[in-house]
Amino acid sequence: MKKAPVRLDDLAGAGKRPLIHLENEDLMSLPAPLDHPSKDHNWPPLSAQAGEKFECFLDDTCAVSIPQPKTKEEEDALVAKFLSGLDKLFVKENNWSFLQPLLLTMEHCAKCQTCSEACHIYEASGREEIYRPTFRSEILRRLYFKYVKHGGMLSSWQHGAITLNWPLVARLIELSYRCNLCRRCAQTCPIGVDNGLVAHELRKLFSQEMGIAPKEIHDNGSMLQLRVGSSTGMNSEVVKDNIEFIDEDISEKAGIHVETPWDVEGADVLLIHNAGEIMAWPENPGAFALILNAAGIKWTLSSEIAGYDSINYGLWYDDAQFARVAIKHAEAAKKLKVKKIVLGECGHAHKALSVIADRILTGDLNIPRESSMTLLRDIVMSDRIKLDPSRNDFPVTLHDPCNLVRLMGVVEPQREIVRKICPKFREMEPHGVDNYCCGGGSGFAIMSGHNFADWRFHVSGRKKIEQILNAFANCTDASIPKYVCAPCSNCKGMIRDMIAYYNLWESNRIHYGGLVELIVNAMVDVKPGFIDWEWR
Amino acid sequence: MPIFEVAGKQYEVDEDGFLENPEIWNQDVACDFASSEGVTELTESHWKVINYLRSYYLQFGIAPMIRKLCKETGFKLNEIYVMFPSGPAKGACKLAGLPKPTGCV
Repeated sequence: MKKAPVRLDDLAGAGKRPLIHLENEDLMSLPAPLDHPSKDHNWPPLSAQAGEKFECFLDDTCAVSIPQPKTKEEEDALVAKFLSGLDKLFVKENNWSFLQPLLLTMEHCAKCQTCSEACHIYEASGREEIYRPTFRSEILRRLYFKYVKHGGMLSSWQHGAITLNWPLVARLIELSYRCNLCRRCAQTCPIGVDNGLVAHELRKLFSQEMGIAPKEIHDNGSMLQLRVGSSTGMNSEVVKDNIEFIDEDISEKAGIHVETPWDVEGADVLLIHNAGEIMAWPENPGAFALILNAAGIKWTLSSEIAGYDSINYGLWYDDAQFARVAIKHAEAAKKLKVKKIVLGECGHAHKALSVIADRILTGDLNIPRESSMTLLRDIVMSDRIKLDPSRNDFPVTLHDPCNLVRLMGVVEPQREIVRKICPKFREMEPHGVDNYCCGGGSGFAIMSGHNFADWRFHVSGRKKIEQILNAFANCTDASIPKYVCAPCSNCKGMIRDMIAYYNLWESNRIHYGGLVELIVNAMVDVKPGFIDWEWR
Repeated sequence: MPIFEVAGKQYEVDEDGFLENPEIWNQDVACDFASSEGVTELTESHWKVINYLRSYYLQFGIAPMIRKLCKETGFKLNEIYVMFPSGPAKGACKLAGLPKPTGCV
């Protein structure tokens, strides 16, 4: 039986039960080997403990773990905070960064639902009403007309009524974390409305005004990075020790001596990796070192606070945290007097430092920033290193990280490389700026409290799994190793977790990794077999 | 904070089921948390991994690189997955009483 769709008013309901609960049968179907709901994993409901302690009454999962207020007074105080934050969102002095597109979005949505059809979360969920990009925006829009523009009855009739109470705010907090901020909705909107931005602005209100944000991206993310230097918890001593270990490991593996330069003043390039690469995928920073050395580039890493970790989680939820980290990155480059910063394989770090930070970094902090994609493209296409494409004689497909591709337009450099060095390269459909998010965007890849990882694998990552399986449809057999190239740590983590969850390495030999690993795997001077086809 | 109950004992854990106070860890904790990570028996090999994680954590305040863990203990990653089905970062770290690894790992 088809369930009745959730209505906007339901979000203000006081009930202590989730408004929806999805089952495998509700979701978008997938290709083989996941072509029947029974081949999917069971999906555990939230625990009873979670329902007793946290505000998690939206959709039977929980991303933010907001403690339940104990009294009516506490609830009212939270709603009052929400209202003061709402006001600030619409004041130039408090929101000079995003006010203009936000106002455009509030005033001009025609509710044509073109964006809903473009949203991977909405489609994968089986077109669940609360995941429409317009559902979230409509709540904010009605609040805007009622509480910011102080509309009366006529406005309420024109724009729709809304009840503001703590249950609504609590559900809206969770709902702002059911969007990957991939902005495929904004791309497709015929009149330039940005419903992805709405999720971002809501998160910002909750963090900057109410101190509410998932601990993975705030306490253990941007705060940890500003305190010790990296969201991984590595201080400068630990990161140097780890890179020394990687140098030894890679030298042995490649048969070429590698020594990573630290804090070289006046270097041409300051390379900043997502530090997660160092911890979890050491072959990636190792491969960068091999390529840059072979190409004769004068490069360095920095051991300054945040100088060795390009992440800037503030991009997803908090403008103030964003600015603090962006300035640290620029200061590290300024101290070393480097000619430019090059960002490693991390999509959100690319957009954070090269695009959004452009309005913050002024004067001598406005140091040129470049994508590693273009630098690598120039090295590969100018034949500065000798490459043998036959070493990459296995099926390869390319994932487009949203921040890098749709939101920055870096589309071709990485493609020129894979076309040149991967004879069995095939595109996913759709691809380029029309790509789908990996499902881990905006922090989801590192959020797995309660049963949230199950939600990610079943809903937000579902479209990407479909695309990967389709790209390899003509070579599914486990005797053929296959490679999903994802030049972004966040996407790579999400894709790794989904391949593991669905057992696709064991059953179909689908592996994953970055772009530089493919380049080094084809380098003639490197011992053959850099990609070792073992699960990692 | 959520409570993890096992064998008549109660542990405060975070939303991912990791021990809230890593300093209260002892060998009993590893035994008590084993079943929640699909580990039926703690063998000598399990302890080798747990003890390495624990001593690295006490020295540096974070978990080691996975590659380092493999090299220092002599186990391949897939062998660690056999021992700890949810992997080194989630399963093994949880039994060793480390906080959940942070950042894009």
